[in-house]
Amino acid sequence: MSIKKLYLYILAFSLTVLSGCSGFLDREPSRLLTEDQVYSDPNMVLSVLANFYGRVGWGPSITDDYNYIYEDEATPSSGGPDVFTDYWDSFRRVYDYGLIRNINQFIEGLRNSTVIDDNLKKTAEGEARFLRAYTYFYMAKCMGGMPLVGDEVYGYSSGMDVTALQFPRSKESEIYDYVISELDAVAGMLTENTTAHSARVNKWAALALKARAALYAGSIAKYNNLKTPNIVLAGGEVGIPADKADYYYGIALKAAQDVMNSGKYKLQDSNPDKAKNFYSATSVKDNNTEVIWARDYKVPDLTHQFSTRNIPPSLAEDIDRSIITPVLNIVEAFEYTDNRDGVIKIKDDNGNYIFYDQPEDAFKNKDPRLAGSIIYPGGTFKGKRVDLQAGILYLKDGKWEKRIGKPGSYIEGTQEVLTSENGPTTSNEQFINKSGFFFKKFLDETSQSATRGRGSDMWFPYIRYAEVVMIACEASYELNKTDLALGYINQVRERAGIPDLTTITFNDIVRENQVEFAFEGHRWWDLKRWRIAHEVLNGRPLDPTAQQWALMPYHVVDATSPMNGKWVFEKISAPNSPYPRNFQMRNYYNFIDQDWINHNPKLVKNPYQ
Amino acid sequence: MDNYDPPKSQLSGQIVYNDQPVHVKGTYGAIQLQLYQDGYALKNPISVFVDQNGKFEATLFDGTYKLVTRDKNGPWVNSRDTTIVNVKGNSFVELEVTPYFTISNPTVSLNGAQLTGSCTVDKIVSTANLDFIKLFINGTSFVDENINVLSVSSNALAVGNNTFSLTLNADQQAKLNSLKGVYARIGVKTQGADQAIYSEVFQLK
Repeated sequence: MSIKKLYLYILAFSLTVLSGCSGFLDREPSRLLTEDQVYSDPNMVLSVLANFYGRVGWGPSITDDYNYIYEDEATPSSGGPDVFTDYWDSFRRVYDYGLIRNINQFIEGLRNSTVIDDNLKKTAEGEARFLRAYTYFYMAKCMGGMPLVGDEVYGYSSGMDVTALQFPRSKESEIYDYVISELDAVAGMLTENTTAHSARVNKWAALALKARAALYAGSIAKYNNLKTPNIVLAGGEVGIPADKADYYYGIALKAAQDVMNSGKYKLQDSNPDKAKNFYSATSVKDNNTEVIWARDYKVPDLTHQFSTRNIPPSLAEDIDRSIITPVLNIVEAFEYTDNRDGVIKIKDDNGNYIFYDQPEDAFKNKDPRLAGSIIYPGGTFKGKRVDLQAGILYLKDGKWEKRIGKPGSYIEGTQEVLTSENGPTTSNEQFINKSGFFFKKFLDETSQSATRGRGSDMWFPYIRYAEVVMIACEASYELNKTDLALGYINQVRERAGIPDLTTITFNDIVRENQVEFAFEGHRWWDLKRWRIAHEVLNGRPLDPTAQQWALMPYHVVDATSPMNGKWVFEKISAPNSPYPRNFQMRNYYNFIDQDWINHNPKLVKNPYQ
Repeated sequence: MDNYDPPKSQLSGQIVYNDQPVHVKGTYGAIQLQLYQDGYALKNPISVFVDQNGKFEATLFDGTYKLVTRDKNGPWVNSRDTTIVNVKGNSFVELEVTPYFTISNPTVSLNGAQLTGSCTVDKIVSTANLDFIKLFINGTSFVDENINVLSVSSNALAVGNNTFSLTLNADQQAKLNSLKGVYARIGVKTQGADQAIYSEVFQLK
């Protein structure tokens, strides 16, 4: 190619590429959409809504499973101990006026749109306002009364007087009143039909959330005055007058009954195997009659790693396993069908071991919800037995001695397991059980769901029909309608497969909630609103409730003993939770951050701050 | 790079009532005071932790500070009156509080399996009600409502003379024998208060 010809090519190239770009600086951005574009397309409206749904998943959940370790439900199991004991002042605190503002922008855009049809306008606004009410409710649970900013979208321009944008905190009662009235309004805007996998809210979700909010307000009115009367602020930002308790309990009962009377949901009771039935009611999406609102996931686009992280090692499909595991505290909260005391019997009155033929015999006659929620030693998952064996027991000079090996080890020269590949152990090994139990609730049975690549599309229920029944139970109990309360709690117990109660106490309700909603993110907020968190999580070392406990199964291997082949258990303080949970008075309300006060001096600080 | 010298002045102090030290729970950061200093952009208080003898210390820059108790924290009347503290070099401050109850003439002894104790509880704030009067035992000198191996309630839950007595069972005796040291103190908690007031610590072994 001659030089001349090359120049010609370059010239031709330059002319085509570098000329004729008159519109270059005027192109429409391809990644930014204008308000008009968003509110002129129904699919765009739905994707904004989907964004909001994705932003309210606070608290311990299957996508935030480490968060389960902070109460009395689970312990970290992989690696070394977590020395957690005190709750920090912003623990689980939610302060999301960014989301409130975005929802208000959405509502404004929707209302001004001339293109979106009225039906979608109504339901989309209803869903957005539901999520806004949920956000306010969540902030109220954390901090008490917070600024209520209504529907307006506030703007700021340089030099303007910002005091008009600074709102003081509402009273604690006012924020609950606002949430309740919003949910009332929303209930009239949303569909009465159930939605696919309950991922979008309907009228019944709004009424159920209203019942929950009213129940919280009622219990703060009652129990704050009864048990922690000093936790109040002069302006009412914290503390609800005791005489309003009945008012809120009444709202809760009525809203819960509205949901029950609709007939759209029922306690799922389709499988005569009660344990499987309970697992299906919480952890199987198809044909579910019980879940009212859930965070849904979908393969392959939107999955999570709960199964991958927490599956027993013997069933693992990837390198992760056994990262968070349930503790004995929650296991013993489940009753026996023939004994309301759920303590696992491991020693007799003289302090001698109780010998079981099989480890699972210790859990025989337990509330079937235990087997539906937790894999215990000798329990099953995906139809496979899950062994848990800490070591072996043998006689030496007439006394029982323990021997422990590495996970997955055998007694030398035999096929006899020394320590199971699942654990439990008390060492710092990664991916080995440290408490004697595994999650079952929300653990996915689908093949390959415990791999990093695929992940699981198990849902996470926010509101279940069983909660609506328990709200009705608690509200009617507090309103002295004991017969009604008994009827409701027995609905839940009959479905579970345990005997009816003939009388009902406050502690019965506390316990029914604890076992029915294990790992569903209720426990922390329940303990707080009942003002018993400082008693249950009292910070005392080796306390039955504040310390986390583990159950270590041992296999008797000693041909000289008639007990050869049997199983015994040892109860020990959970090795990876060495310190008790210490809930102090100041933890009932999160602190108001100094940075927020710097921006808005009208915010008053919380008690103990 | 930080172009300040680190703070050098030591502020130490003691919580007192009627010139007597007030003993409190020293674990879990249970009792905290707050130091504020005006005139700076940062408005967060400096938390000052109080030990179980009611003493506290902070290393500060010279200047004028405001010292307050934390809201509703402590076995005393919740008064958030400010104590002005001028820090110039090492300084000492006494922080006066009004406890709901006081403990005087405490005694604790352990003879074999017999644990006994006594104290006088005086009511300082007329509206206060007793939540508990207990004797706590632990294996270290850190002993309080949360940190203990054994606790005994007073024979009477009342203002005035209180006695404690407990005959240790075999388990409890074995437990105490296994400890290198045995320490005890008495705590009195007021209903609604977040913390108890304590006597000084007794070493029993």
